[in-house]
Amino acid sequence: MSRADAPGALLEPGTGYGDLPPAPALRGSLARLLVAELRLVLGRRRNQALLGGLALVPLVLGLVVRLTQDSALRDQGPGFIGEVTGNGLFLVVASVFVCLPFLLPLCIGIASGDAIAGEAATGTLRYLLVVPVGRSRLLLVKAVGALVFAATAVAGIAAVALVTGAAFFGVAPLTLLSGDVVPVGDGLLRVLGVVLYVGLSFIGLVAVGLFFSTLTEVPVGAMAATVVVPVVSTVLDSLPQLSAIHPVLLTHHWFDFAEFLRIEIGWDVLASGLGLQAAWALVFGALAWSRFTTADVTS
Amino acid sequence: MPSTVLPPLSPRARWAVPVVAAVVVAGAVAAPRLAAADSSELPGLTAQELVAAVAEAERTPVSGTVVYTARLGLPSLPIAEVSGADPTALLGGSSTMRVWSDGAERSRVALLGTVSEYSVVHDGPEAWTFSSTSGTATHYVLDAEGQARYEAMAADLADGTLDAPLPAGAPTALPEDLAAQLPDEVLAELAPSVDGSLPTPAAAARAALAAAELSATVEVTGQSTVADRAAYEVVVTPTSDGTLVDRVVLDVDGSTFVPLRVQVWSTQDEAAPALELTFTDVSFAAPSDAVLGFTPPADTQVEEVVVPSSMDRPATAGAPTPGVDVSGTGWDAVATISGVDVPGLLAADPAALVEQVSPLTIGSERAQDLVEQFRPTDEQGRTAVDLDAATLYETLTTEVEGGRLLTSTLLSVLVTDDGRVLVGAVPPQTLLDLA
Repeated sequence: MSRADAPGALLEPGTGYGDLPPAPALRGSLARLLVAELRLVLGRRRNQALLGGLALVPLVLGLVVRLTQDSALRDQGPGFIGEVTGNGLFLVVASVFVCLPFLLPLCIGIASGDAIAGEAATGTLRYLLVVPVGRSRLLLVKAVGALVFAATAVAGIAAVALVTGAAFFGVAPLTLLSGDVVPVGDGLLRVLGVVLYVGLSFIGLVAVGLFFSTLTEVPVGAMAATVVVPVVSTVLDSLPQLSAIHPVLLTHHWFDFAEFLRIEIGWDVLASGLGLQAAWALVFGALAWSRFTTADVTS
Repeated sequence: MPSTVLPPLSPRARWAVPVVAAVVVAGAVAAPRLAAADSSELPGLTAQELVAAVAEAERTPVSGTVVYTARLGLPSLPIAEVSGADPTALLGGSSTMRVWSDGAERSRVALLGTVSEYSVVHDGPEAWTFSSTSGTATHYVLDAEGQARYEAMAADLADGTLDAPLPAGAPTALPEDLAAQLPDEVLAELAPSVDGSLPTPAAAARAALAAAELSATVEVTGQSTVADRAAYEVVVTPTSDGTLVDRVVLDVDGSTFVPLRVQVWSTQDEAAPALELTFTDVSFAAPSDAVLGFTPPADTQVEEVVVPSSMDRPATAGAPTPGVDVSGTGWDAVATISGVDVPGLLAADPAALVEQVSPLTIGSERAQDLVEQFRPTDEQGRTAVDLDAATLYETLTTEVEGGRLLTSTLLSVLVTDDGRVLVGAVPPQTLLDLA
């Protein structure tokens, strides 16, 4: 992928990073860059459409459950979708459950795969590199942008689900998967834990997306490659013959958010899930850094 | 990311960073395992001492995570993926369970599925099962006679006046079902039995040791590490060679003598145990009161089941249950149950299932009629459910002369056309010869 020999190479490796201006100026630049990035990520029409679409899921789910609750169609699907009728809190869990396998990874893959490849495609990456901020910090800003998008996506679903659920079905003490009932306050905390864990479960995917994004100038390629990773991971996770590699698969612990709905929360299970995400983030973050700080940027 | 502070790294050095990151991750994964590998030396014990210590340890509270693995050689049934946590999943593959026990008459076992759970709670003279998939609870209580007997026994045990008036050992056909009559579990014995109960290492070890008393050699073969704890390894080898059970390996905790792992090895498969129940983490602290009790959610369907006290003790040595004929003893015993209406039993299931579903209508009356048109029905107009008991039966069994045969690495079942069911931990040929 080296473009060192490409005509018009603007920034050769070793010239655009490293010994850059002193700290004070840099700190201001970094903050400005971060604000600009967040404004870009959250202000972009495409991203707003994705977030809006995700937020529609709990609304539609709530409506469907509400409209079918007195017919034979109720209690179809996973057991706890039937629980929604009795308790709006469950709409948060049901929405997250519905979005987690595909919709959320798709949207987050789009945002993180676009982070750098998108700038390269529109020819704006070279201008970003002129900002007195090292490439490492630029990558960090891009990572924060993608993480904020992921957090917004998950939080948006949860917030809309909570409001919709409370409006349609009311909020009642939470029935756990074990059949035990916990008071509303405890239930709210547990549901919050579910949302937090699901949000943190996307750190690894964001790092993977960022790495793919540094590899190419074609954003669609980076996005598609990023979205494929959780899909392949899910497929591999369902093959019992591959049980030896299951513990290191990106999606292996995604559905362990259910620990928050068990009578005794398995903190060790949650910890291994978050540790797995940290490991993926570390390896792919490092890969993205190596690639981005050594690549020739021509556009 | 220190690139603006440190002198610039060469591209090669930069590409070394992800390699270092990967090594660090691999190290973080491997380090705890290596650290756990060295276990302290346990004092030597004879088999008798160890078996006695295991019996003593009955009252130790235990909680932890148990992984159950079955390699029975049955056709694979992707039931868990279809319906969430369900005891049928125990027929094959790996399942994770959480167990809590106060060491006496209260316990909870939960079979974990993906965002689903199946729980069995024993709380003294009553028991509950709850499935998050169906959202239904079943409440098991003893009948009046059983309740009175239970309370009398509980009072005796509390006074310490129970001088072991224990019923004689009750060998049934299956080694797993051999009920050990150790003093501490009289109460557990009297408590109601539950359909779809879940196995625990303690119960399995108890069954194996009880079966060992009949005809097997027990020896302590060494030490092992289970759930990061040093454990004694005990091997129970049946003396008979007419059984499918090659040996049962028990791993007993070195300091509390609680069974941590039970492996049943089949003569058919030398590579891996046919059944394995193992703690992956374990704690000996008393579980909280909330875990050991159960109150069903307010709007849940609760099915009440009264367990008749006579059913508590099937096939006691003196008075065999009518219709059950046990031939042979110990590991290679075969139970013949006569007068079983297998087609009737199988047909009853789907019909009951449909009745539960039907009262609700889909949309309008007309829409409901339309749906009825498309429901597959058999000649009698009953709805045929996809994954019903009959299908399961067809999948698991094979046609043989004069009946249908279920073979697995540990158990053979022969259902004859004249309504007898032969069950035993023996090769299928033994059953065919008997029938």
